[in-house]
Amino acid sequence: MNLLQTLRKILAASALLIFGINCGFGQNDGGTLSGNLQANGNFFIRDSLIGAANTPQYDRQLYGADAWLNLSYNNWGFDFGLRFDLFNNSNLLNPTGSFTGEGIGRWYIHKKVDKFDISVGYLYDQIGSGIIFRAFEQRPLLIDNALYGARLAYDLGENWQIKAFTGRQKQQFDIYEPVIKGGAIDGYLSFGEEGRFWAIAPGLGVVNRTLDDASMNSIVATVNTYTKEDAFVPRYNTYAFSAYNTLSAGPWTWYVEAAYKTEDNLSDPFGEFVLSDSSLVVGDKLYKAPGTVFYSSLSYAKSGLGISVEGKRTENFDFRVRPQEQLNRGLVNFLPPMARVNTYRMTARYNAATQFLGEMAVQADIRYNYKRKFSVNANFSNITDLDNNLLYRELYTEFTYKYKRTWQFLAGMQIQRYNQEVFEFKPDAPIVETVTPYFDILYKISRRKSIRFEGQYMIAGKDDKGEGHDYGSWLFGLVEFSVAPSWTFTVSDMFNIDPGKASPIDDSGEKAALHYPRFDVFYTHGPNRFSLSYIKQVEGVVCTGGICRLEPAFSGVRFTVNSNF
Amino acid sequence: MRKVLFLFAIIALSSACEEISPVITPVMEVESICDDPAPITDQQRQVLVEEFTGVRCVNCPAGSAALEELIGQHGDQLVAVSIHAGSFAPPYPESFDTLRTAKGEEILSFVGEPLGYPTAVVNRKKFPGGFNLQLPRNGWPGAIEQELQEDPRVLIDIKNNYDEATRELETCVTLQMMDDLSAEESVFLTVMLLENNVVDLQLTPESSEPDPNYVHKHVFRDVLTSAAGNLIQDAVTAGSFVQQSFAITLKEKYKADDCSIIAFVHLGGDTKVVLQAEKESW
Repeated sequence: MNLLQTLRKILAASALLIFGINCGFGQNDGGTLSGNLQANGNFFIRDSLIGAANTPQYDRQLYGADAWLNLSYNNWGFDFGLRFDLFNNSNLLNPTGSFTGEGIGRWYIHKKVDKFDISVGYLYDQIGSGIIFRAFEQRPLLIDNALYGARLAYDLGENWQIKAFTGRQKQQFDIYEPVIKGGAIDGYLSFGEEGRFWAIAPGLGVVNRTLDDASMNSIVATVNTYTKEDAFVPRYNTYAFSAYNTLSAGPWTWYVEAAYKTEDNLSDPFGEFVLSDSSLVVGDKLYKAPGTVFYSSLSYAKSGLGISVEGKRTENFDFRVRPQEQLNRGLVNFLPPMARVNTYRMTARYNAATQFLGEMAVQADIRYNYKRKFSVNANFSNITDLDNNLLYRELYTEFTYKYKRTWQFLAGMQIQRYNQEVFEFKPDAPIVETVTPYFDILYKISRRKSIRFEGQYMIAGKDDKGEGHDYGSWLFGLVEFSVAPSWTFTVSDMFNIDPGKASPIDDSGEKAALHYPRFDVFYTHGPNRFSLSYIKQVEGVVCTGGICRLEPAFSGVRFTVNSNF
Repeated sequence: MRKVLFLFAIIALSSACEEISPVITPVMEVESICDDPAPITDQQRQVLVEEFTGVRCVNCPAGSAALEELIGQHGDQLVAVSIHAGSFAPPYPESFDTLRTAKGEEILSFVGEPLGYPTAVVNRKKFPGGFNLQLPRNGWPGAIEQELQEDPRVLIDIKNNYDEATRELETCVTLQMMDDLSAEESVFLTVMLLENNVVDLQLTPESSEPDPNYVHKHVFRDVLTSAAGNLIQDAVTAGSFVQQSFAITLKEKYKADDCSIIAFVHLGGDTKVVLQAEKESW
């Protein structure tokens, strides 16, 4: 480990040196240095009524910050990259905790030598749609699954490429012990002639993960506490295979992927245990099983009309560096989500988290655009478990109408069914039912000035006792005023108009109909963007299976900077 | 524009700067109640498990059940304490008592917040692959197994002297160094008061309403040292003895018969590792 750290420091130092030389000597030798900075600063203001309390930040730390500075340099046929990551009393990694750490978050060197392609360092990559392997970064959730290792690729002719990689997954400023390696072959073949052209892009991939001894010893000790019926012999090595293809013909695109994973040690959050006093307990339980995923999407796009249909079946496909990892930690792969990604505040309140152990999902989307004046979008998704119990269902419609370049009207309705018991592990919680009509009106006052109004009303269903599901019904309104190209001001409020079962109770012992206001100022100047916001945001318990994680309410001031250079 | 920024600054500053301060507990001069130290015999390696839990944590009863199974397996070699702290610990308005304590919260901050619950810290050690000292349920047996392999570097003896009339408890903790600990940066002693079988509300997977008959095991009630432990200033060379006395008056609500004292020795500096733990009731 010491050797590794030393090596890391030397490499980081040499990368810095290279940047230094380049900056010093300017761009005469043809190299380019570019980069970007993203920084967030949070100021936490305790508000116990909405639940913005009981975390180190609200109680005593008061300030938190995250920052990433990314630099990349290209010269002499090489690409170098270096990223500085900083977390000071940050709530990103663990929303109820505090994380402090800083250092080199990423470096890499890439070189193409004729048909041979070499990359080493912290690498982001994927096979197919990511079902068996995806190394990626998602800053809002602080997922950084970069593979710290090496990747070699070779061009077999013009349209075929073969690649192989090996490494270990990044864990903040550390690295997980288990080793991940794999490879893939991807091709592209086109047929036909002008007008009747069609093409296929087939691929095959394989990934292997080998557990380290310490992780295995811990699994063995856990399995040793199980009864004979529940005990199993864990596996060091797990292989995942995947075959995929994209067929494109005229306006049609059809993607299909089938993946199989050999026996793996998995953790079932709803596992049933029989204890020594023969009582039954439900909780995290290790088991061993092979897994499968079938995924396909078919889309059609022609002259203003777009249709897509998707389907996915998942069984026992939780693929992690080690089965002990929880929530979104240590994920080796990525399963595509099967519900619409919503952006309006209320329509995005309930989200269907991907179920790794068992899910059957379908989604259909249709869009039609008439002369750029009128457009319509409808989306339907339905997700069940493998026993056909409903997890999530959504029908989303949206109509847009543009009038004389000065007005744009948008309106629609969302209808949802959300299985809170499974997604958030809330016992006995009824399926949350919502109906949300919404509108969005944009008026261009002048060439530079515009104003936008948003409104959403989420009507929640009621349980047997007449209490609204979860937090009950919400009313949301937003006004946004923009002065191009620099300024945007927004004022919004989310009002718990008809408090439900989970709404906070105030001092009088009544459910409180609380307001969650928010003010934002955005300023853009060239490649720099700044924002300053005062936020009150409602809390939510986010659980993946049996492991719960409280995303506390946010109350405070947030400052962000984005810059590209 | 300046006015807007000014407004933000006013909002920020007016409601800010309010912090929850740490609890200061100056070392009380307690009269020594210890007898001359005698060599401690018949003590094996004993591992400390600090379970962090909360009455609003629906998955925690399954964790507690797993911990009870482990106690059944390892007996006295496992010293368990359940600390009600963190995001699920605030009591229900109907709770009979609050199991959450400021000192428990302080201990949680000291060892670090978990990613999810149920969670426990085994001997305050960071195990490979772990996110911090906190381990999810399926990591406990492996960590305990691994810790039991080692020899104790200290042996601990607890002598309790409880007066039923005054509800006063005097405790003498004797440490016998089995290894030279003077090379370590610092050595600490923590002494806690636990109460077993506390009946109070707990959310369980069976119902959306908390169970009023739930039996909470080895509940953390108080700490007789400071939350992060008392620094041992005596010589800690191999073979030496260290003795410390403590006194506490049990609150009326505690059932004295279900109370016990646990003591553990841990390191300071880079590591917070626990060397040995011991439990004694009276």
